[in-house]
Amino acid sequence: MPGVGTPLRILVVEDSSAMRAFVRATLEDAGGVEVQEAQSGFEALRLLPRQVFDLVIVDVNMPDINGLELVSFMRRSQEHQGTPLLIISTEASARDRERGLSLGANAYLSKPFQPEQLRAAVAELLAG
Amino acid sequence: MAGSDDRKDDVRDEFLAEAQEIVESLSRDLLVLDQGQKEGHPDPDLVNEVFRGVHTLKGIAGMFGYHQVGAVAHALEDLLDDLRLGRVELTQDVLDVLFEGVENFQRLLGEAKGAGESADVDLSDYAQSIERVSAGGGRKETSLESYDLDPGVLAVLTEYEEHRLRTNVEQGVPLFRLVVRLSLASIDTALESLKTRAKPLAEIITYLPSMGESDGDAIDLEVLFASRASAERLEEVLGGDGARVEPVPRKDGHATVPPPERATVTSAPPAPTVAHVVAPPRPPPVPKTSAPPPISHDEPEDDEEAEIGGDQLSVRSVTNTVRVDIRKLDHLMNVVGELAIVRSAVARITDRIRARPELRQLALELHRVNRGFERHLGELQDGILDVRMVPLRQVFDRLARVVRQVAREHEKEIRLAVTGAETEVDKLIVEELSDPLMHIIRNAIDHGVEKPKVRELAGKPSTGTLALNAYQKGNHVVIEVEDDGAGMSEDKLFETAVRRGVVTEDSRADMTRQEIFNLIFQPGFTTRSSITDISGRGMGMDVVKTNINRLGGIVDVQSEHGIGTKLTITLPVTLAIIRALVVEVSGRVFCIPLTAVQEALLLDARAIRTVEGREVLTLRGGTLPLCRLSSLFALAPRRERPSKRYVVVTSLGQKRVGFVVDGLQGQQDIVIKALGRSLSRVRGFAGATDLGDQRVALVVDAPALMEEVLGGADRVLTAGEVS
Amino acid sequence: MSDEIVRAKTVLPAAVAHQVGSAEPEIVYEVLAFVIAQERYALPLASVREILKVPSITEVPRAPRDVLGIISVRGRIITVVDLRRRLRMAEAAIDKGARVLLVDDGRELLGLLVDRVLSVYRLRQDEVELAAVMGGDTADYVTGIGRPKASKGTRDAEARTQEEMLILLDPGPLLRR
Repeated sequence: MPGVGTPLRILVVEDSSAMRAFVRATLEDAGGVEVQEAQSGFEALRLLPRQVFDLVIVDVNMPDINGLELVSFMRRSQEHQGTPLLIISTEASARDRERGLSLGANAYLSKPFQPEQLRAAVAELLAG
Repeated sequence: MAGSDDRKDDVRDEFLAEAQEIVESLSRDLLVLDQGQKEGHPDPDLVNEVFRGVHTLKGIAGMFGYHQVGAVAHALEDLLDDLRLGRVELTQDVLDVLFEGVENFQRLLGEAKGAGESADVDLSDYAQSIERVSAGGGRKETSLESYDLDPGVLAVLTEYEEHRLRTNVEQGVPLFRLVVRLSLASIDTALESLKTRAKPLAEIITYLPSMGESDGDAIDLEVLFASRASAERLEEVLGGDGARVEPVPRKDGHATVPPPERATVTSAPPAPTVAHVVAPPRPPPVPKTSAPPPISHDEPEDDEEAEIGGDQLSVRSVTNTVRVDIRKLDHLMNVVGELAIVRSAVARITDRIRARPELRQLALELHRVNRGFERHLGELQDGILDVRMVPLRQVFDRLARVVRQVAREHEKEIRLAVTGAETEVDKLIVEELSDPLMHIIRNAIDHGVEKPKVRELAGKPSTGTLALNAYQKGNHVVIEVEDDGAGMSEDKLFETAVRRGVVTEDSRADMTRQEIFNLIFQPGFTTRSSITDISGRGMGMDVVKTNINRLGGIVDVQSEHGIGTKLTITLPVTLAIIRALVVEVSGRVFCIPLTAVQEALLLDARAIRTVEGREVLTLRGGTLPLCRLSSLFALAPRRERPSKRYVVVTSLGQKRVGFVVDGLQGQQDIVIKALGRSLSRVRGFAGATDLGDQRVALVVDAPALMEEVLGGADRVLTAGEVS
Repeated sequence: MSDEIVRAKTVLPAAVAHQVGSAEPEIVYEVLAFVIAQERYALPLASVREILKVPSITEVPRAPRDVLGIISVRGRIITVVDLRRRLRMAEAAIDKGARVLLVDDGRELLGLLVDRVLSVYRLRQDEVELAAVMGGDTADYVTGIGRPKASKGTRDAEARTQEEMLILLDPGPLLRR
């Protein structure tokens, strides 16, 4: 991950505070990354139209607006059509993965995952 | 993780905190479900809620390596899935298994917190329990084909949401779509309001956002929900403000009118709590408990109803409310004390840093930060005291049940009238108040209120009234228990007291009417020749008085023969405020807590005798040891000998001591404050208080002084000698 | 005089030291000087929270001899210690100039009765002689001796130094018993 210049801005949309803390710790420890958190789909909706992110990580299972809806929303909006999107989910389900990917997410990570897996996935998306 | 261990710990703590939160809300939701199950209408939303909680728990437990937690969650998740899809019926057996799950989570998390990693807990038995109640069958998928759902909508549903959608379709609940434009600025409140309005009528499946044609300040939201209410009704409740409700058309051309409700369908819970709630189309029945016929209830009648429908309210509606063990608050108070010590330590370190020239600026900043810390600490302390305050309703509700029960046992008709149940008192006081109040009430029903026939003969209504009133008065809370029963006869009362050896025959002349009534609080006094199974239970009025005194309160009795009796309890709002007798000794002022004071009287110097080298006084047939406070405290006299002196009679259990003072300045409410650490070894004082007029007075520790005066048990001259 | 001193303490900027000129040695100690029985003493300014005119003091029977009694400062009960008694000096009546210093000894806030409050001194390294260096028998509550130098061109430096010798006290050992 690049460690120089302006930090990369990553948005984590996840309803579990423990998961957000985990993602933030994992990514920020790698350096050069600034993690912003949204604890619900709605909070993400409020942030997305106003800010540019280098990467968005979305949990699938959230109350109210779920991750898939957020993916669909982003892909239909002009600003976020091209933003790299990583979806994560507690469902080890092929169904959610396929739906997410077909809606336009770039990669999928299934919980539980190791910090290295998350870092690798993020690095790959940012490189691409 | 590549990061520091601290960070790792933080993340782990975050997990434990979130897991604990989930488990606690599971426990609350299950209690409500239990209640709902017993009443025959468990809330399906709540089952979903529990499912979601367990699901999240499973996810994060897996992430953080708490595999046993994950395993239990996984097993429960399947069971809960069966429950919400109706494959398994919610029975008490199932609830047992769910509650046991909560226990297991608690245990595993407790161990995780302590040991840092989860110890092995044998869960095989539990797995079998789950197995037993689970359906175990395969999952059939209902087709969603019958509805003309936008494939774009179906594509964004999670598995979970799709389940919910199917469940509704399976049960024949029509689907609707609500389209609304929300401003990003107020999206949270708008949504909360929408959810609240929808809750009694509908189950929201999902929300689909889109940018629409707006310029970025608003989003269009399509809300998919299931409801049995008519489209008109839904439009009325949810529509307006540019929002419109439309039915999702069915492909088979069926009308979108809701089909008749099926008997098996679980209806919406009866419990919307939020202000602008719209009544559901058919109000769910509120179960009536059959109250025992002889009692009619004033306020508690309402309470009772509120309690049944409302129990859910109180638990459900206040998801932001936490129940706290009072010991945790005590612990917090101790922590505040410890923090004050930390603050001093930081101040000390600041001094040392200040001595290093290159760190002066840093020291200054630290000093400023520490000041802020101190201020917040004060706020914290006030906050904790505030949290301790609870309404008396807690204990009053319990008393209402006692009234009903005792009245029934005694074939008496009693109407309970309650006022001021919302009056707030320190939690600790409320807890301690329960037993004495219970006893007073039993006593009032047993001895006070007459049987219906007797009442009729006396020309009173056959139903007696027991009034329970509470109100705040300055720093005190007053609780009155008043009955319109037989009242007490002064003469009969005195006679009994003499017979029981509580007083001597000849003391009658010295006693006021009030003093005679107060004899009921003397040990060994009972007005009935036979101890009934009600009031006789364990406690006499003397114990009631002792208990109330221990709380810094006083109890008083007034009675009119044939008309009724009123007991008045006056309690401090917090334990820190007490009523004291202000006395003067050798020109200094001291406070004696009134709880320890029996009476104060003018000292008749001629009546003093000396027994075994100690001054004593004969008081109502008993021997009262005297102690001059001026000599006990070795106070040099500041002015000429007073012409009059007084004796303050203090009592502790059976023991009595008369403290000789120079003057009585009256009674006052005081806030006891601790003496500083450097005086901690000084015996005989409970603290000091600001009398308000620039005077600081010491508060004597009466029990300690009495023990000091009386020496040991061998030299005790007891008040019990009178009996 | 009393209140101003206290305020001066909190707003005293570190920059003051630098303005004097970087050639000057840095200020090491900020102390509040006071008099007890004609002797000059000083306590670290940071340990002095407040300076009060002597309020009415309530005597505490059975308290240690050097405890004068208790006072209430904004609702808090504070024990007042007579430094004359603690330092074993002859007793004297409390006169008009007397003050009570509220001093934090690290464990509790205590009141200290002094005859007169002088002023705040900012002592540089070369104006302080530490007890550790002084040798001999020094009480544990004495940190050292301060000898504030006269400002240039005012008076005979030697005389002033003599006059302004301060016994620097350490509140911890002094007050904790």
